[in-house]
Amino acid sequence: MPQTLAEVTDIATRGYAQPEVLVSTQWVADHLDDPKVRLLESNEDILLYETGHIPGAVKIDWVTDLNDPLLRDYIDRPRFERLLRAKGISKDTTIVFYGDRNNWWATYAFWVFKLFGVENLRVVDGGRLRWIDEGRELVTDVRRYPEGNISVKERDDSRIRAFRPQVEEHLKRSGKLVDVRSPEEYRGERLHMPEYPNEGAVRGGHIPGAKSIPWGRAVNAETHTFKPAAELRTIYEAENGLRATDDVVAYCRIGERSSHTWFALTYLLGFKNVRNYDGSWTEWGNTVRAPIEKP
Amino acid sequence: MDRETRLAWLVDHYQRPRHKGALADADARVPGGNPGCGDIITLYVKDGTVSWEGTGCTLSQASASILAERVNREHTSFEDILAITPETWMDLLGREFADARPQCALLALGTLKAAVKTVEMNRTLKAAGHTDEQIKELRCAIDSLEA
Repeated sequence: MPQTLAEVTDIATRGYAQPEVLVSTQWVADHLDDPKVRLLESNEDILLYETGHIPGAVKIDWVTDLNDPLLRDYIDRPRFERLLRAKGISKDTTIVFYGDRNNWWATYAFWVFKLFGVENLRVVDGGRLRWIDEGRELVTDVRRYPEGNISVKERDDSRIRAFRPQVEEHLKRSGKLVDVRSPEEYRGERLHMPEYPNEGAVRGGHIPGAKSIPWGRAVNAETHTFKPAAELRTIYEAENGLRATDDVVAYCRIGERSSHTWFALTYLLGFKNVRNYDGSWTEWGNTVRAPIEKP
Repeated sequence: MDRETRLAWLVDHYQRPRHKGALADADARVPGGNPGCGDIITLYVKDGTVSWEGTGCTLSQASASILAERVNREHTSFEDILAITPETWMDLLGREFADARPQCALLALGTLKAAVKTVEMNRTLKAAGHTDEQIKELRCAIDSLEA
């Protein structure tokens, strides 16, 4: 391990509501050959897994694996079940996600798996960057596993997912909204990106009343690990007035960064009612007459 | 090109980018991308030569490198640059990767086309009698409107 590497505190000492949902890189190193553990790498960068990954990890891609190829939605239960079985996942498998960009795609995959009621999910604290910073091994060979036997439930979109009509109702009730995009996107200064036809928006700004809390604030920039609960409470509760009992909707551009905030609020701070609005700004900012605030 | 060869080609361009760096006194310098997402490209055009700067994912950066290499090697005309279709470019990069990340695959091409159009418009303005200083002021005004 490089001598200059910033130390991380033990996950169990950070005061999280559900600390068991995070595992350390050392825990991963200790379970590389554990047949009951399946590592899933979920990245923004579609070629990153191929350039090197944690030994034994399999790739899961949010577009080609999790998204329906036709509808803007996730795949259905039969396809999801086949996907998991093909990756060697059985009912007693512990699934451990990690990925690039401080795990935002790992938490996105985690959130989608939760929609299908999959249990035994974990996230590697610090993700791919921490693993690399610690000088741990990456390999390019892709390990194949015998087909698993997991059965998954029908997708339940009612508890942790919000659709636009529900966000509109939430807005009428003055419900708490968290915009996790960059401040420039929140302020509407960055309206549409040149040649980004698929993810642009016609209007810039934010949903009225939304608090701007960029997703990355939940992460220690040096170690890439999640901040302790006390620091997270300062950010979300003291600075922005959220409470663990609040009904909260988080959004970003397409729902991936907000899944990271959903994860932090739900599992690290113990919020009971957090939903991820995956339609996010690409839907809201393109919807005729959707109310927008722009400072 | 099979999948493994194509993958190695893309990764090589990502790890050893060609024509990366700013061009001094460029005819056009056009930024593109989404800082919130992480892929950033700036394209420079000067006398038909192209260079680029950027950060981001393997595919977006490899695509910029491949594009600059091709345009510079083949002395591709502006007309031919503008005629490169997204489909053609995604076929070249490999559909198995590009279809899953079209924004990343097309960022450099789209930004280069914007740079080419900027150069062409500047020429048109100059032909209409505007000075370089006036064109610069017009560009600044347009940029501030877009921001």
